[in-house]
Amino acid sequence: METSPEAPAAVRTIANGIASWINQLGAVWVEGQLTDVSIGRGTTTVFGTLRDTDADISLRFTCNRRVFETVDVRDGSRVLVHAKPNFFARRGTLALAVSEIRHVGIGELLARIERLKQLLGAEGLFEPYRKKKLPFLPHTIGLICGRDSAAERDVLENAKRRWPAVAFRIEYASVQGPSAAGEVMTALRKLDADESVEVIVIARGGGSLEDLLPFSDEGLIRAVSKTGTPVVSAIGHEPDSPLLDLVADLRASTPTDAAKRIVPDVREELDGVRLLRERGLRAIRSWLDRESHALAAIRSRPALAAPVTDLQRRADEIAALVERNRRTLTHRLDRASDDIAHRLASVRALSPKATLERGYSVLQLADGTAVREVAQVAPGDLLQARVSDGRFAVEVKTEEDK
Amino acid sequence: MSGDRPEMTYEQAREELVDVVRKLEAGGTSLEESLALWERGEELAGTCQRWLDGARERLTKAQAAHEEKTD
Repeated sequence: METSPEAPAAVRTIANGIASWINQLGAVWVEGQLTDVSIGRGTTTVFGTLRDTDADISLRFTCNRRVFETVDVRDGSRVLVHAKPNFFARRGTLALAVSEIRHVGIGELLARIERLKQLLGAEGLFEPYRKKKLPFLPHTIGLICGRDSAAERDVLENAKRRWPAVAFRIEYASVQGPSAAGEVMTALRKLDADESVEVIVIARGGGSLEDLLPFSDEGLIRAVSKTGTPVVSAIGHEPDSPLLDLVADLRASTPTDAAKRIVPDVREELDGVRLLRERGLRAIRSWLDRESHALAAIRSRPALAAPVTDLQRRADEIAALVERNRRTLTHRLDRASDDIAHRLASVRALSPKATLERGYSVLQLADGTAVREVAQVAPGDLLQARVSDGRFAVEVKTEEDK
Repeated sequence: MSGDRPEMTYEQAREELVDVVRKLEAGGTSLEESLALWERGEELAGTCQRWLDGARERLTKAQAAHEEKTD
């Protein structure tokens, strides 16, 4: 079509041209996620958006209400549609005119998740060595969950029951539907950036495989694997677990289970501490008792308790020596006295006393010499006469010759 | 009993005490030596006793403080 500033085309010409060109395109099978579905009361046409499951790209669609209601689909459902691009010249909008709509099969979804699992597994995202250890008692727990959800309540209540002082930082996110994966990723980034958050719990109650699809989202799985903070997956118990369970550092079966795994039971811990205290106390008590007894035993040994005995022994030794000494001396004295007595007897036996008693007497000169011869005396000499019981003086008269 | 070497541990005091008593019991020492040994023994026994009494006291205090807190 030739146009120029001097000869512009009319809007209708262009619109009709685009419409006729687009309307020549054939019908195609498209897979996407339903969002913004609006079913006006009494209208026959359903409007909505068909969103790409990975890229941020979407197309409007229209569908006959009867066709739409043949399958049980709603916002967030993954669908396969047979549709023909249709340009509405009147409003200048493009929409897919859906002629047939199908649920993306559960089997198909599982196969996709399985393929993604193989891919991410091959990259090593689920390796045990990547798992980060959870803190024993986290400073703050980051929680990602739906607003006013049972999952939120379960985690908070159970954690606080176990450890009343536990702190939470909660980031709300849609936990199903097309925006869920993105919102959860945003929340994850915020919590990971918060220094005080030491563990992040992603909690959601159970749901259908389709409801849980955001938790197998490739983007989210990669985001979790890159998170510096340990992540706990707490998605309701389902036979087919989402991939989040595999990449998370800890997999809890339910939000309640997550609460139990991330905070220790305060009573249990206090009991443990008390038990250890008691054991320590018992140990030190028995040590003290044992040592006290040992010390008492040492102190009561005679060497220490009665040092006097040693002195006594020495004193006794001295006393014995003194005694021996004394005895020896006495003995000698006794012997000496006996000797004296004998000698006295001998002396007595030799004395002239007996002779004197028989009537003899001894005359002695003044110098004590016994008078034996007449020649020894002269008349007038005074002599001593010794008799048995004493002595008296006598005078020599005359010489008498024989 | 004064002149306690403060750096002496309970174990050191106890070991030396046992040694002193053994020497005393073995005999063969002069009176002066015996007396010196006995005095040393008394001193060591006192050191051990003070250690044990102190430990007991600390234990009782700590326990009382703990009970006060938990009550």
